[in-house]
Amino acid sequence: MIQHHHRDTEGIAHHPSDALLLTYASGAADEAVSLIVATHMSYCSLCRLRGRKLEAIGGALLEDLPPAALARDAREAVMAKLDSAQPYERPVVSSGAALKDHRTPAVLRPYIGGDLARVRWRRMGPRLSYVPLFRRGAVAARLLRGVPGAGSGLHSHQGLELTLVLQGGYTDVTGNYGPGDLQVMEDGMRHNPVADPGEDCINLAVTTGRLTFDSLMQKIAAPLFGF
Amino acid sequence: MDQAIDPTRHGQRKSAMLAHAKTAFFPAPAPALRRTGVVLRLPQQMTPQAPELNALLIAVAADRDRRAFAALFDHFAPRVKAYLLRLGASPALAEDLAQEALLSLWRKAHLFDPAKASAATWLFTIARNLRIDTIRRERRPELHPEDFMPEGEPMADDGLALADDEARLRAALKELPADQIQVVELSFFADKPHSQIAAELDIPLGTVKSRLRLAMARLKRALGEVS
Repeated sequence: MIQHHHRDTEGIAHHPSDALLLTYASGAADEAVSLIVATHMSYCSLCRLRGRKLEAIGGALLEDLPPAALARDAREAVMAKLDSAQPYERPVVSSGAALKDHRTPAVLRPYIGGDLARVRWRRMGPRLSYVPLFRRGAVAARLLRGVPGAGSGLHSHQGLELTLVLQGGYTDVTGNYGPGDLQVMEDGMRHNPVADPGEDCINLAVTTGRLTFDSLMQKIAAPLFGF
Repeated sequence: MDQAIDPTRHGQRKSAMLAHAKTAFFPAPAPALRRTGVVLRLPQQMTPQAPELNALLIAVAADRDRRAFAALFDHFAPRVKAYLLRLGASPALAEDLAQEALLSLWRKAHLFDPAKASAATWLFTIARNLRIDTIRRERRPELHPEDFMPEGEPMADDGLALADDEARLRAALKELPADQIQVVELSFFADKPHSQIAAELDIPLGTVKSRLRLAMARLKRALGEVS
């Protein structure tokens, strides 16, 4: 019973919820969750606009905060620095064609050492590979790659599992996911994603708790790979 | 920043409070700014509204206008300090970062786009990112315009429509029921995931989410629907 989701003009069918997008806009989300939401937004003009509207709530709340008294020389101290303050220049991070042509989203590049095409994969069996990106406490970010037909194995989650497709696609009981789609699996949900035919499926995955695999082999192997 | 009284000026001040009140909104006769068609004549002691704040920020970007900067400083620095205090920064750190946020405003003013955000919202994002960098010591994964520059953004809003949005948004925020504004505020000022907010309010996570959903539905109506 695969649900068919409507794909918008950018080809994206699965977006973050308001609550998730709000944690990014407010700055409450930790770095890994922020990274995956921002990477989705680099594919999705709708969510960029949604994100800006949520940031406007932050602006409105800021405006309405009762002002706190500053040090008495605060303004003079800052104005004395203006002449020597250099205009900010946005760092140049990438160049090339559009994201659709396999370009790596700029926001992701510093985390994976540049181009997705040049990432050094670690094997996790014959059909799956991965790259650990970073971990803070129970929250981990990684890249996952599966050849067509590869499945991750039936698993459930403690906390959230967020998956963003960067290349190819996969299908599970909840639907089909392609480049730019973000899937959020909540605490206790089980699924068994399988990579679609065509090119290899590459995902950015963030988990906020451990995954639990149903098969014994994977139960044994998962901790070795940091899952 | 040095909070001590500058000895050379000590005698000129009756009290810090009075000095602050005198310079609260304009250090000198209000300038008339004619950029973006908004003629600015700020009455003394009145809170500048969104179009004036935007025009001041544009004047900083275009002319390195120090008087416009001083007005922005007086308006925003105490609010940014209040924001940081709400998020648990010590008074000394909140003071330092509020000053640094305003220095960033000077350095980044040329990046301000009034079609995308109000001055308050833009400054909120600066303060939010500064807090993540310095207090949480994490990177803020930020979208890079290179990823979506060519096709542009699907928003016809100009700066004035956006200012209207902000006024509607602030009115809508004031009309939210207390339990809804509480979860919205905590989303921005608590730096915690919704599960932790639920634990602290001693209500189920589902209740936090449903309050947030109700609040979002009302705020979206104010902001113009984006699904």
